[in-house]
Amino acid sequence: MSSNNADTLVLNKADSTLTQVMQAVANLEKAEPRRSLSIGLSSSATTELLGLYLRKHGLLSGTHITIHLGNYDDPIGDVDSFLSAGIEHMVMLPFLDTLMPSFEAQLESLTPELLAAKELDVRNRYRMAFEKAKFFKSIFLGSFHRFGHAADVSGADAVSDVLNRFNQALREEAAAFPNICIIDTEDVVRTVGHTAAFDARFYFRSKAPYTGIYFNELARRVASATRGFGTHFYKVLVLDCDNTLWGGVIGEDLMGGIKLSPYDYPGNIFWRMQHEFAALERNGILLCLCSKNNLADVDEVFQKHPEMILKPSQIVVKKVNWNDKPTNLRALAQELNVGLDSIVFLDDSSFECDAVRQQLPMVKTIQVPATLSEYPRVVKEIKELFLAGGISADSRCKTEQYRQRADSVTLQTQFESQNAYLASLEMKVELSCNETGSVARISELSMKSNQFNLTTRRFSEAEVIKLMQSPDAAVYSLSVSDKFGKAGLTGVVFMRYFDGVAQIDNFLMSCRVIGRGVETAIWSEISSNAARRGCAALRATYIPSAKNAQVADFYERLGLPLTDTTVDAKYYSAALTSFTPPVTPWIELTYVG
Amino acid sequence: MLDENTLKQVMATLLTVDITAIDSEASMDTIATWDSLRHMNLVLALEEEFKVSIPDEDAGNITSYKLIMLVLEELLQAK
Repeated sequence: MSSNNADTLVLNKADSTLTQVMQAVANLEKAEPRRSLSIGLSSSATTELLGLYLRKHGLLSGTHITIHLGNYDDPIGDVDSFLSAGIEHMVMLPFLDTLMPSFEAQLESLTPELLAAKELDVRNRYRMAFEKAKFFKSIFLGSFHRFGHAADVSGADAVSDVLNRFNQALREEAAAFPNICIIDTEDVVRTVGHTAAFDARFYFRSKAPYTGIYFNELARRVASATRGFGTHFYKVLVLDCDNTLWGGVIGEDLMGGIKLSPYDYPGNIFWRMQHEFAALERNGILLCLCSKNNLADVDEVFQKHPEMILKPSQIVVKKVNWNDKPTNLRALAQELNVGLDSIVFLDDSSFECDAVRQQLPMVKTIQVPATLSEYPRVVKEIKELFLAGGISADSRCKTEQYRQRADSVTLQTQFESQNAYLASLEMKVELSCNETGSVARISELSMKSNQFNLTTRRFSEAEVIKLMQSPDAAVYSLSVSDKFGKAGLTGVVFMRYFDGVAQIDNFLMSCRVIGRGVETAIWSEISSNAARRGCAALRATYIPSAKNAQVADFYERLGLPLTDTTVDAKYYSAALTSFTPPVTPWIELTYVG
Repeated sequence: MLDENTLKQVMATLLTVDITAIDSEASMDTIATWDSLRHMNLVLALEEEFKVSIPDEDAGNITSYKLIMLVLEELLQAK
């Protein structure tokens, strides 16, 4: 084992001593840093030791962290000095009991006026500090916690009231600043235990209330919240099936034999874990299966087992086959178009976990613990990997979108010809003319589309309405759906009619549906409508823009002869009688007028 | 018996000096990096390493190698 590995092992061990951690950190920091980061510490307690643990967790993510200590209880001055040192990340740890000397003990005797003034002071100071620090990349703000205990067994006393009030104040002041991430320090204390978190000796001598245990947990949470100081961003959880989603082996124990009952051990653990996985899926995490099994067996469990929590619709990609797992994981990453380093892989087998760790070290591999009662703790860690950095509302429910795409890719590999593949999509296109209910969407699409946009002429809602009402114009809109779902209104054609000519004023489509023949399927309908209006010719123009090169030859592909080319445009014209757009038998077109 | 090598190693690590700097005369006065912040961490590290609990009244005062030896030996004998 290299000394680096030995040092990393020390950092990973929960019971390494302070001396060991310091030695290991110092040794590992001698190596050339892959990434480095500076963090400022600002606190109204002595928190110098937090620096060591931030450096430790940085090293575990391959990042060298330099710590800059602020002054005691000087958030505004600290921000100034960090700014001038070019520091972009900061941990702020206000401390309740030092707001005034032994603040917690004084509380009962303080007047409401004085307390209100103190709260205002906290608000003002921190608001000013936040304001000055608004260009920091990130600020980790520890909420207040209490140092002492409530004598009242209900936990409610003067301190708990003030604690809640001051925390509310901090949260309110922080809310205006999106670079602030609040860390619930009461939960840090709860997690490590009050006795383990504090050392009263050094609090009273040097205002250093915390132990290394507390700082280690706090630093671990900062690392989680920053996704390993910006080194990872996990998106996909790949699950084994047997002894991971249920107890037992479906191929041997069969439907009746696998363990998944919410009322019996160990089924209750697997059942609970499935709820956790399902919750991750609802938060936008993509779930996949990678299992050595017969697909039919696993499908049967998903479809028919009465206690299954995960539904087939919650799984984006299934790799249930007898291939080795690294191969399956590679294929899976390709289908989803994500990097292997955004995958977390969970399996109960040491053999499989080792194979993946060795061949795909960028995948985060986690083994289901042999002691099943430890499984919930392991899954909590998995949840943190995905969720500790926060989730944006629009990333929720990504599964459906990705599943549609992945399904298309899977199908694509199964069909020899592109046309057979397209036919299997069961595409339906609904073409509407002057559909007043869609004016807003039509205008939006004309404003937003850049790539598939033949003239880049944009139309406001009012203009769309005007065109729809005009006897000499028509606005066609098309909606696409296939066996995987609806893509909605994704294409618009603006037509003008004059002197026996049907002129395509613009044609634009959303990129979501390009490449499946939709763009050519609509034209026989549009040209027959033009003929019925008494037009004899169809004309079109392509105006190049910075972004629409992909449709530079669209009208050629549609079968319109090029009549003139200038620097600014290409012109096309055909007699309606001779215009025959390419056939798209795989698309079912409905014209709704 | 107190393992002096271990003691020197802990002190050197915590005070970020070479182990040769920790001799019998080492104290807060002779070692520039030995400030009150490092001293707290040193006490915590000594407690952890030797599995003792250094009483409050001693914790702040053991600011030399000799004093640390003295207190640790007493605590270890009492175990």
